[in-house]
Amino acid sequence: MIMLEQIIHVFYFVLAGFIGLLILRSFFKRTSRTGIIYDIVYAYCFIPFLLRILGIK
Amino acid sequence: MAAQRIEEPRKEVKLYFKIIILLVTLVLAFLGGREFYELRHFKETFVSSPGLTEVKMLSDYLPSLKGTWIDTPIFVYDSGVPGGTVLYMANVHPYEPAASLSAYILMENIKVKKGKVFVIPQGNRSASTTGMLANAYPKFFHIKTSFGEKKFRIGDRGTNPLDQWPDPFTYVHYPSRQNLAYQDIRNMNRTYPGRANGTLTERASFAIMELIRKEKIDLSIDVHEASLMYPVVSTYVAHERSFDIAMMAAMTLTATSFDMKCESSPKSLRGLSHREWGDFSDTLPVLMETPEPFIDRVVGPMTEELFTEGKDEFLAVAAKHGLTYVPYTLDFGSPLWYRCGRHLSGALEVINQMNQFMPEKEVIVEWPTYDQLKEHDCGFFFHDPAKADQKLVFKI
Repeated sequence: MIMLEQIIHVFYFVLAGFIGLLILRSFFKRTSRTGIIYDIVYAYCFIPFLLRILGIK
Repeated sequence: MAAQRIEEPRKEVKLYFKIIILLVTLVLAFLGGREFYELRHFKETFVSSPGLTEVKMLSDYLPSLKGTWIDTPIFVYDSGVPGGTVLYMANVHPYEPAASLSAYILMENIKVKKGKVFVIPQGNRSASTTGMLANAYPKFFHIKTSFGEKKFRIGDRGTNPLDQWPDPFTYVHYPSRQNLAYQDIRNMNRTYPGRANGTLTERASFAIMELIRKEKIDLSIDVHEASLMYPVVSTYVAHERSFDIAMMAAMTLTATSFDMKCESSPKSLRGLSHREWGDFSDTLPVLMETPEPFIDRVVGPMTEELFTEGKDEFLAVAAKHGLTYVPYTLDFGSPLWYRCGRHLSGALEVINQMNQFMPEKEVIVEWPTYDQLKEHDCGFFFHDPAKADQKLVFKI
């Protein structure tokens, strides 16, 4: 059970990393909502995923 | 005629501009992250009294906790004279700072003449390394001493999500199978008696139970703080086996020092120390609450002053309308010396009552009292780590 808990815990970190990468990709390359406001929104949304992957927050 | 949507011409942001935005974002992430990192890694320093005989770790009672952020030191003060055994446990909820502060004051000054005392100043150490989400809490609070300011962490109620994540949709308590709020799976005072192979918080709770059982703790005191609009403020909460002791202590304190109520631990609410410690071991459990205005929902800005002095005009208005469960005025507030003093004298009084009810389990102990804290304030009781015997200086 402890091993299963650990696997789920690590999986969620990997998931956070994956979503962070998706956000980063969409920040540079997207076909809709290409204005600067959306760039700022994408960049802002990237912060919590970055901090979680780094084990800071 | 069908309305036709007019497409706006696409305005592509130049790559160099995107890179500037990303750099600004990384700077913001660095500034924010630095604060979180500081709270996560800051260590509190204290100087133990020379009466210290042993330092154990929670992982000594459950090895799977070794190396985790929830593993925490346990300080043992053994008089060498046979008698009873007492546990003083603080900071199960690290946003209730009078608990850990009172534990530090206790450990800096304790003298045990009979029996043995175990002290855990950081019950849920992981929870003390993260701030309260969305409540704009300050990260630290400071206490003035003769050798400068001492700095302490302000933590959260539950285990840091960096250490236990994700939360389930519903938390099913073990072994009662009672459904509790999902976030309480990280709340150590909802996970007793715990289990050896459960979540990190359940394992820590199980290790506390093992400590109580293996060390044959006679009296276990769990130290907390409560909002003034919560009925269980300024109260002992006691298991039915420790209810006589707690009730006598409450009456004695109310007659001699400060108002103290006493409530019986509800049998239908599971996972709490005053219930499960008593049901799953032979100890006499007592939980103590002091008034902490900082965690009341009606208060104004969440400042360090509110945390340490407890003065808030909105709460004073609420008190005038009879909405608080203890008297409250803006002139006095609820300062840290008052809250720590209540805990320290509150614990001494339940020990005194246990001595009278069960002379064979007598514990004779001294540490600063409510009256002494009223006279000198908290900082007076700390010793300078730079001048102390380095074997007695600890960082947690």
